[in-house]
Amino acid sequence: MNPASLHRALRLTAWIAGVFCLLVCGVLVCEHFAAATNDPWKSPQLIALKEKLAAEPKNQPVQNQIRQLDQKFRRESRQRLALDKSGAWLLLGGTLALVLAAGKAAALQKTLPLPQPRTDAGEQSVKLASRARLSLAGVALVVAGSLLLIGLGNTSVLPANQTAWQKLLGQAGPEEAPAEAAPALSEFQDNWPRFRGWDGSGAATQTNCGTNLAWRSAIPAPGHSSPVVWGERVFISGGTAAKREVFCYNVSSGALLWQRAIENVPGSPPKVPEVPEDTTYAASTPAADGRRVYAFFANGDLGALNFDGSVAWTKYLGPLKNPYGYAASLAVWGTNLFIQLDQGETPEEGSKLISVQGASGRVVWERSRPVSASWATPIVIEAAGKTQIVTLSKPWVIAYALPGGDELWRADLLANEVVPSPVFAGGMVVFINPADKLIALRPDGAGDVTKTGVVWTNDENVPDIPSPAGRGELVFTVTSMGMVKCFEASNGKKNWETNLDTEVKASPGIVGDRLVILSENGLLVMLRAGRELQEFGRSQWADKFIASPAFAGGRMFLRGATNLYCLRPEGAQPAKQP
Amino acid sequence: MLRRLKFIGALGVMLLLAWVVGADQRFPPPDFESGYRLPSPATPAARQLWRQYADAGVLLAALALAVWLIYKKRSRRGLFWLSLFSLAYFGFFRQGCICAIGSPQNIVYALFNPDYAVPVTALIFCFAPIVVALFAGRAFCAGVCPQGALQDFMLIKPVTVPLWLEQALSVVPYIFLGAGLIYAGTGTGFVICRYDPFVPLFRLSGGSFILTLGAAFLLAGMFVGRPYCRFLCPYGGLLKLAALASKWRVRVTPDTCTQCRLCEQSCPFGAMREPTPAAASPQALGAARRRLGWLLALLPALVLAGAWAGSKLSPAAAQLHPAVALAERYLRQQSAPAQYGPMTPEALSLQRAADNPATILKEAADLRGRFDLACWLFGGWVGLVIGLKLVALSLLPGRTDYEPDRGACFACARCFTACPNERVRLGWMPAAEKPAPL
Repeated sequence: MNPASLHRALRLTAWIAGVFCLLVCGVLVCEHFAAATNDPWKSPQLIALKEKLAAEPKNQPVQNQIRQLDQKFRRESRQRLALDKSGAWLLLGGTLALVLAAGKAAALQKTLPLPQPRTDAGEQSVKLASRARLSLAGVALVVAGSLLLIGLGNTSVLPANQTAWQKLLGQAGPEEAPAEAAPALSEFQDNWPRFRGWDGSGAATQTNCGTNLAWRSAIPAPGHSSPVVWGERVFISGGTAAKREVFCYNVSSGALLWQRAIENVPGSPPKVPEVPEDTTYAASTPAADGRRVYAFFANGDLGALNFDGSVAWTKYLGPLKNPYGYAASLAVWGTNLFIQLDQGETPEEGSKLISVQGASGRVVWERSRPVSASWATPIVIEAAGKTQIVTLSKPWVIAYALPGGDELWRADLLANEVVPSPVFAGGMVVFINPADKLIALRPDGAGDVTKTGVVWTNDENVPDIPSPAGRGELVFTVTSMGMVKCFEASNGKKNWETNLDTEVKASPGIVGDRLVILSENGLLVMLRAGRELQEFGRSQWADKFIASPAFAGGRMFLRGATNLYCLRPEGAQPAKQP
Repeated sequence: MLRRLKFIGALGVMLLLAWVVGADQRFPPPDFESGYRLPSPATPAARQLWRQYADAGVLLAALALAVWLIYKKRSRRGLFWLSLFSLAYFGFFRQGCICAIGSPQNIVYALFNPDYAVPVTALIFCFAPIVVALFAGRAFCAGVCPQGALQDFMLIKPVTVPLWLEQALSVVPYIFLGAGLIYAGTGTGFVICRYDPFVPLFRLSGGSFILTLGAAFLLAGMFVGRPYCRFLCPYGGLLKLAALASKWRVRVTPDTCTQCRLCEQSCPFGAMREPTPAAASPQALGAARRRLGWLLALLPALVLAGAWAGSKLSPAAAQLHPAVALAERYLRQQSAPAQYGPMTPEALSLQRAADNPATILKEAADLRGRFDLACWLFGGWVGLVIGLKLVALSLLPGRTDYEPDRGACFACARCFTACPNERVRLGWMPAAEKPAPL
């Protein structure tokens, strides 16, 4: 082919490739703008349907419409992605053809250079340098002007000097929170401030045990959380997918003093996760510290209420990843609240222990935990000269120092999903690896104490849901099938066992010399909380007990499926039924 | 006609990446529980160690080959194929990472952040091309850099950029380098990588801005030889400095220069420099000396002025850091609350800040302190770069032959075969046709 023909052919190829590229580009750009204007997140149709669904969560036709719309969006999105991908390759090929053809055509048309000798090189060199200096000065001015423009036009609201920073940091620091003295230990001990009493062992410091019904009050919302008591108030929580609430009753009369919904929590999505009916949205027992009552729900909403029922603060800690619904209860110590927020089915799914200032809701610290979801409640103990918060979750038992939250020790002893909470008795942390072992661990180690901390274990009839109860040198366990056992906390020696032959989910409690056991079918059994087996008595209630009992002021509080019961000591006058 | 074609082609290239903008779109997760579990986001595993060493090995081998092709074989064709390989391997296969251009940021980040250990491969990618440049000039740019190779292939009809403009714009890479290093040192991010216009093409993914920037560079690259390398590449700036002191240099002619100026015509990058007169007049020499003296005296003032201007930049520059940006948003929310939807990134970040404002603000305060210092240094660096360039432009070069500027020459080998002496050496033309030396 002669050069002229070749040049024509190349030029034609370049034209065709250019037009092809333009067409493909046009399609892709149109497609891009179509995608940008059809954002699935902003579809008015979808938003309207979702609002309708929020108002009527069970509306099946609306759900189906949303599903169909969602599927339509996804199909369109996939088609768009496929088009983009094939378009990109076509464009790449077209561009390659265009560049090659145009380059070759340009080379064919290129005229050979015929440079002439330079006679004024010196003069040109001086002029060039002068012009370059001037243009460089211009560049310098542009750069300096740009820097100043950006700098002076900044709209930062952060402080400009050290003094202002210190003032701001001072305001944001812990000093800003209202100074509040921690309640005395005796106040915690005289009340029932959290799940299973002030130290989580299930044992009351009082000796009187209510035995006769003082009053019974209806509970307006379902939940498996246990009652907590402070002074003249009993608090329980309850809730559904639509509303989560805290209820406050008068200890003496059983009158419902107030009920308050935890709602409009910042960041909390309107759609709550589904929680199994067996768990409920209010399985986590509230906690009280004499100033406020705190409640946490399975949708991740945490609320603090003043004792008059007003909202102190709320916080969203979700979304929670828990296969059976969140159920671990809150712990209080001093002026702080602790939430064991273990999540997921693997240790990499964001489990953590959070310390929150009770007065303000400010997160004081949080520690990531290499564990999966847990349903056990942490306990705060004094051991080895340190205040420790002990947590259980597969696979680690981990203790953190308070108040700082530094890890003290850990032991790899939990192979199964953990529901029972630990207790501290006889200098041992006693806990359960469900369906495997009852384990006693000395809490005075450091680092990994898996091989050095275990003092004794027992693998006969190990409970899987109820927590142990402990006081002094004795530990009591109850299995879901009603097998009750008493162990020496120091060496694991079994003192006695008895089979109640009833289904038990509530954890046992100890008050005075009595071990109180509640069964799911309404049986209340009182055994001697001692080294010898003795049954004081039993009574059958027309209710279902899953929550654990609470003891305060010589009274016992039981939460049934629909009623809250208060039992007074013998001889005390019954209240007028509210 | 052909120019219009080129323009259309350039436009096509600019839009080549438009489709990738679609990657910005994120689809909402499923709304209803159906037993399906969304997979947890996972960080990709680090590249296997032997593969990292293989990358370093390929780099070293490619550098060695480039040096051999430039100095021993004097082969443009060899360099072309090496560039093609580098574009395929370091560009499309390794997707622009690891890359020598961004590697100085790793070094600086490690210097100011003791928790970060620089990978050995990053060290090799950062220093091997510089060491080679100290001996053999910009062999890395010639045949190993994928960004350079891509621009080289796009070059259709080069136009000459006026040398005075080229000289003035040659400070921009050093300013970009300074900015990249302060952002790396403060832990804000690797902006040199983030604003590399060619990496999105290698990865077939990127934001609208960077894709448009890449397309613009490719478009310009059809007519201006390697625009990114010459006017923006920060690593190129480092290589340029190293090449200025190189032991060997690219020589156009294997024999005596005939001063035919054919090599000057052949260089698409404006790197060829013409001979200068043997001696300037005493009058001109005196003026040049006085100018040099003034500029040397002005240099500290330029550095100080730059540092002052840089210090004004600190509050704005710090806002690119995520922690500072969060503190800003938190404080704005306190004074003028904005409504964000539930679970939006803004609401979640504000919730995180509200949980522990003291920590967020303290981190922002620390970062602002670091930025104050960094911006002083950056401004001073800009002043120094401009001052030194002014000084360099006031020195009188001494050249007797046409030869490439050691710093600006990419060692692409295009000029070799333009030289009649080289053509005679290769047997492409009879010695009798060689022009007589002037």
